[in-house]
Amino acid sequence: MIVSAGAGRTTPAPESSLPLSSRASSVIAFDRVGKRYRSLTGREVRALDELTLELRVGEVVGLAGPNGAGKSTLIALLMGFLAPTEGTVRIGGLDPRRFIERHGIGYLSELVNIPPAWRVVEALRRYALLAGVPAASRDARVDELITQLGLEEHRGKRVRQLSKGNLQRLGLAQALLHDEHVLVLDEPTHGLDPVWTQRFRDVVNALRRDDRLILIASHNLDELARLADRVVILDRGRLQRIVDIRSDAAPRSGDATPYRIALARGEEYLASLFPTAHAVGHGEFQVDDATLESINERLAQLIARGALVSAVYPVHTALEQQFRDAVGATEDQR
Amino acid sequence: MSAAIEPRPILDARTAHAPRRSRIGTYALWQLRDYFKDRGLPTVIIAVLFGYLSLMPLLAASGVTHAKLNSAFEGDRAMALTELAQVTSAFIHGFLGTLVFLAALFAMNGIVANDRKLGFYRFLFAKPVSPMRYYGQAFFVHWAGFLGVITLLGLLYQLTLGPVLTWPLLLVVSTTFFCYAAIAFLLSAAARWDWLSLVAVSVAATFLWGMYGRSTHPAAKLLYLLPPLHRTDELYRYVAGVDLTATSAPLFPSTLLLWFAGYGAASFVLGLVVLRFRRLAIV
Repeated sequence: MIVSAGAGRTTPAPESSLPLSSRASSVIAFDRVGKRYRSLTGREVRALDELTLELRVGEVVGLAGPNGAGKSTLIALLMGFLAPTEGTVRIGGLDPRRFIERHGIGYLSELVNIPPAWRVVEALRRYALLAGVPAASRDARVDELITQLGLEEHRGKRVRQLSKGNLQRLGLAQALLHDEHVLVLDEPTHGLDPVWTQRFRDVVNALRRDDRLILIASHNLDELARLADRVVILDRGRLQRIVDIRSDAAPRSGDATPYRIALARGEEYLASLFPTAHAVGHGEFQVDDATLESINERLAQLIARGALVSAVYPVHTALEQQFRDAVGATEDQR
Repeated sequence: MSAAIEPRPILDARTAHAPRRSRIGTYALWQLRDYFKDRGLPTVIIAVLFGYLSLMPLLAASGVTHAKLNSAFEGDRAMALTELAQVTSAFIHGFLGTLVFLAALFAMNGIVANDRKLGFYRFLFAKPVSPMRYYGQAFFVHWAGFLGVITLLGLLYQLTLGPVLTWPLLLVVSTTFFCYAAIAFLLSAAARWDWLSLVAVSVAATFLWGMYGRSTHPAAKLLYLLPPLHRTDELYRYVAGVDLTATSAPLFPSTLLLWFAGYGAASFVLGLVVLRFRRLAIV
């Protein structure tokens, strides 16, 4: 049996072939960035406020936050689709538009907007031309991505005929056409079924490279915990916290957190070992204030008495807890 | 997180890569295909229908028939050809203005604004492509596509009735289209309701020039900020009156044509400037 916090990295990054110094170099830098909108009634809305953030080459960074936290604005600024009201955004030391017009970025937007009359293969061929994929390898690259993302049977279909999941995969395919150094994926698993969600994780893990930065914005904290090295948490337009998945989001001894225990046999021993445990349905019980040490110790006793434990997991992953703390702090300030 | 951030050179010395060239020039073929499929075909259909409805009464009134045009008698044929030339002249004069305006409206409607409204800009401009280059190229591709459509329509007329395509006609049509299209391009880059704006600008320019064009008041000079659309008729009248078999004609209205071309060029450049500085996202 494994007691898992469910928040650590599942797949380690490949060994770096470059010295550590190059891994630490900045690719994306937000320096005191603010973005204000003015509504039709003249009311000012601060979408981002005093955001300073540096993202480094070689890492996968998650971007999390509740609705309206400023994630979409941050990405629009990063892509140069919006200009900041205050501060500067730089990619590789350049203005975002200048960087993109020189080098391109692999970008999957939250809403996959592709002209509905285009066919799947046509869309990818068009984007491949614009992405600068060399003529000699263009068709092969398009075919490769169609296969890799399971779009073979849809290649001749028009975009308007695609389901949400297939459209999402097409969006991902166009983002991967060229060997980009910066990838920005906004809600990449939105609309994907569990099989393709898992495959997406495999794709991202395969994309990890020492000279590449991957930024993933998602509401799915479990996904970010599995993929990212660091998770940036935004709320109300402000940077609340940066969670280092390896050090900050791993389960720590001594921290009390609620766990759930599922038993196949031996429920009668539970009350004596876990006095605070209460049933939550489906044969599961919740223990509200267990530490990693205490739950392991008591589970050992439970098993020794003849209980059969089918699952143990924290109610909130460590990243979820960090997120709740970060967002809860701003809730308290409201 | 660091408080002070020094701009650094691109990525890292080890990961630096030269600027990449998108194949935007080759992409012009896709843009041309889009023009013919989405804009050129409707232009042809509207032009044929509208042209047919305009031409039939003129032909009926003139009494020109295929039989007369192919008559064995030289005199009858010569008279029929003269009558046909008059019909063609009246047809061009009445039809060309509407055709060019509608074709420009079709060709440029939403050329920038649609991509912004519908969010297509996101994937396009994550690639190493500048909006100026992409839409500037689309403008010229649509212009070329329109010239193809006009040539096709002229050949259709020529096959069924008689010669109509002349160099002066092509030059006038091309220039007036350029002027209308460039204004539409600027409006599409700057505003959401570009087709409506183009109609409004055209109506306002024609009306204001008509009202105050002869005024000597210093403020009347401001009219020169408006396109010279009130004088399109002079150009079409000239083209309609030229000898259809000639390749050049005397008293060519070159100054007026330059005014149209200059106004179009200024609008186009202004459109590019808007694309350079205006961010694409709609807030």
